[in-house]
Formats: sequence, C-alpha cells, structure tokens
Amino acid sequence: MNVVTRKLITKELHVNRWFIVGGALSGIASVLIAATGKTGFNVGALTWLTTVIATGVMLALYGIMNERKEHALEFVLSLPLSIPEYVRAKMLGLTACFLPMWLVSSAAVLLLVFAKDSIPDGLAPYAVLLCVFMLANFTVVLCGSLHAQSEALTSAVIIVTNMGVSIFMFTVGPLPGIEKFMWSPTPAWNSTFWTVLGCELVVLVIAFTLPFFLAARRRDFI
Amino acid sequence: MKQGMNDKHIEMRGVRKVYRFFTLDSVSLALEPGQIMGFVGPNGAGKSTTLRLLMGMISPDAGEIRVLGHEIPKAQAIAKRDIGFVSAEMRLLPHTTLGWHMDFMKSIYPEWDGGYAATLVKRFNLRPEQNARSLSLGEHVKATLLLALARRPRLLILDEPTTGLDPVARHEVISEFMDVLRDESRSILFSSHNTVDVERISDTLTFIDRGRIVDSGDKEAFLDRWRRIQVQLPPGAALPALPNVVKREVDGQFVTLTTNQYSEGLQNLIGPHVTHVHRMNLEEIFVANVMYHREARGQ
Repeated sequence: MNVVTRKLITKELHVNRWFIVGGALSGIASVLIAATGKTGFNVGALTWLTTVIATGVMLALYGIMNERKEHALEFVLSLPLSIPEYVRAKMLGLTACFLPMWLVSSAAVLLLVFAKDSIPDGLAPYAVLLCVFMLANFTVVLCGSLHAQSEALTSAVIIVTNMGVSIFMFTVGPLPGIEKFMWSPTPAWNSTFWTVLGCELVVLVIAFTLPFFLAARRRDFI
Repeated sequence: MKQGMNDKHIEMRGVRKVYRFFTLDSVSLALEPGQIMGFVGPNGAGKSTTLRLLMGMISPDAGEIRVLGHEIPKAQAIAKRDIGFVSAEMRLLPHTTLGWHMDFMKSIYPEWDGGYAATLVKRFNLRPEQNARSLSLGEHVKATLLLALARRPRLLILDEPTTGLDPVARHEVISEFMDVLRDESRSILFSSHNTVDVERISDTLTFIDRGRIVDSGDKEAFLDRWRRIQVQLPPGAALPALPNVVKREVDGQFVTLTTNQYSEGLQNLIGPHVTHVHRMNLEEIFVANVMYHREARGQ
C-alpha cells in the first residue's frame, strides 16, 4: 500500500472521527437502555438498529456521495494516485471507520445477552447473525455508493439495504433452527446458524471485493 | 517511452472522448517546458474535459496522452507527483481546515515548501484555521492554488483558475504564475474563457471550440497575424479576390476585412482604399477565429 493510500485512509478516520465516536457511544447507550426492562429492550433494540444503520449510511453519504457532490473528489483525484488506489483507499478507509463502532456495538449486544439473566443466552446466535448482517449490509451500501454515479441511485441502494434489515428480521427470525432455540437458556450453534452466517459472509466478501474489480476499472471517475 | 515524446511536458495526439451530447475529437496539443499555454474556448467547448483527460480522471476513447513523459491514464499516479491541478470547481475536503490540508499535502509531497506556503497564506489573506466549508469561492480557489503551488510542481494544470476572483485577487494569482515560470523547467497549461488573463500571461495559445482544436500557436504570432482592415471603396469599385480573409463585412461603400495572415502584400493587393489597419486584441482574435472555423465546418 503506497503512502497516498495510507494517508487517505487516515484522512477518512480523521474526517469521520465524530461519526465513529458518536456511533459507538450511541450503540453502547442503546444496549444500556435495552437492559432496563421489556419496554427498554424494545426501545434499545430499535435505537441500536438505527445507530448501526445510520452510521453506515452517513459514512457512505459523506465519504463518497458528498465528496463527489461538493467537488472535493477532484481534489482527491489530483493527488498522485490511480483510480484503483482511490477505490482501495475508500473501501479500506470507510470500513475502518465503521468497524470500531460495529465492534463496540456488537460486543455490547453480546455482553447484554450473556450478562443479563432476564435475556436468554439462546438469543446469542440470532444476535450474532444480526450483527454480521449489519456489517454485510454496510459493505453493500459502500459497494453500491462507489458504483452509483448519481445521487438517486445511491439513495435507491440505501433504501433497498434498509429494507433488507426488516427482511432479515422477518425471514431469519422465524427459521425453525433459530426460532426454536431463541428463548432457550443455552445458545444453539446449529447448522441453520452456520448456513445463514455463511450466506452473510459470502455477501460481505462479494460486496467488499466487487469495487476492487469493477469500480477500480471504471474509465471515467468524474 | 517513445523516442522524442519525453521532452514535452504535455503531448496529446488524436485524442477522442465521446459523451452522449458532446464529443471531443482529434485533440492534439503539445506543451514544452517553460511555456505557459493559454487554453481558450467558450463555455462547453471541451476545456475541462481535455484537462481531466490529462489528469487521468477520465480515459480517452482514442488517441494518446503523455504528461511529463508518462502515459495517461495508465501511469497517472507517477505523473501526478509532479503536477499541480486546480480547477474553479474544485473544493477542499469538507469538515477540515486549510491548515489540515497543508499538513496533509506536506505528508504526501516531499518537495512541499512550508516557507512558500506560509508566504502564500499571507499574500492570499487566508487563515489556516478556517474550515473548508466557510471559505468563499475566491478563497477556495486561492486555497487550492496555494496547495498546488507550494508543492513546487513541474507542471501546473489550471482549469479556469481566475473564475470568481475579484480583480485584485486575480492580479495576485497571476503574479504567482509569473513567479512559477521564472524556473524554466516548469510549465503551465491554463484554461480560461477570460482572454484578458490569458493575453497577460500566456506565451502560446490554443483555441478550442465545440470539442475541436481550432488553432494553436505562439501568442505574439497570433497578435501579429490577425488584423482588421477598413476599406472605403469609391462608387462602383469592387475588391479583388483576397487570400486569407476570414471575414468580410460590407456596409455600403465601407468594407471591414478580417485577416488571419496579415502582410504588406495583402494591403498592397487591396490598394489605396485602405483607411485603417488595426491590431486585434486576443478576445477579437478568439471570436473571429471561432466563428470562421464554425462557418468552415458548416456549423
């Protein structure tokens, strides 16, 4: 990785530092709210989901769309780097911005599940799947934003991925291998769990690597 | 590297770029070290497209581009180490200050001249602590120029850099360009539709219109070659067939001829009826040149 790519990754971390800190704090606060009881659990779950989704969307919007819209992309592309290096810096930089918030928020959720007696440990596999889904969802938003050449297309990607969260909850939650053990005292790391996790990881890997092959080969970047 | 192509700072040969509603066609131009080339054209002529092609931001559909001896867009990362690019549209990164940008550039470019950057901050009346979002249009242009100039690049590519600047700021900026050219190994390609700025600083000119280069050459040669000749013909008299006349305006017995190859021979050919010959300024040359080529192309 050359010096310009490294500096651009550092730039993303600097420019988005308040999103990272704010997102992580909001994730922790959501989990604390979720620990206060049944109503608190619902409110906390909702704010946790909103936090993770919104942080990902904001990073993609500010990091990619706004840079283009506000003509700062010309400044970045005037630096000594190629288009593939720019794409690499964007993917790695924005993922590096999302990961701390995601790790903190996901760890807080798992801590809540295992530490709180009123929440059964059986919920852990579903929580893990949800957390990994949120990460995969972010990489899809990032991938879509890097490929979309218009604000409308980026907005469409964001809407579709947001809908994906609801679809995930309505389809994965009721799966027999998940639903049956969700309220049991011990987690069931069964084949359903591993199959869903595998699917999520496949989506994540594809969405993360696609820009290196497609966006990086785009002939026109402005 | 091909023989003979490594001397020029910029060389474009037969470059074509097709968009849905616009085509840049057969663009060829060359910039030697130590030159300032004014790249002049009306709005939408293809100036920005040409400069973006040179920066590798977009790729040509045909033709060859070399900048500082490097093939573009393939070797753009290497070429851009020595290019300072500024456009009137370019903005600094939001949520950061000018000072942050200066540190950022310093960390990327080993040639960054901190002393010169500080001088430019003062000269352009900028404040390093100022947030990018709070900069006015003129301040943005001056800030991006500062970031480009303090790197001491061998080649400056400037896309309408004086657009939006007040006359004093324009004077400051153009003076800086003149300073850059004191080092004869440096060069500037400077696009504009403001012919006053171009006339002031350029030594060579290239005119572009509707995606095609219409003329290119030495500025003084342009100013020498182009003339407007006023003729008052006696009743019943007619002008002979005249070479190199690009425009003929007739108002009764008064005729105004515009030529792109003025010579005493041409004046002698017209005869004793010439009442006045006057030199044209760059704007007049530019407009006459563009209109002539549009007519020649049947546009």
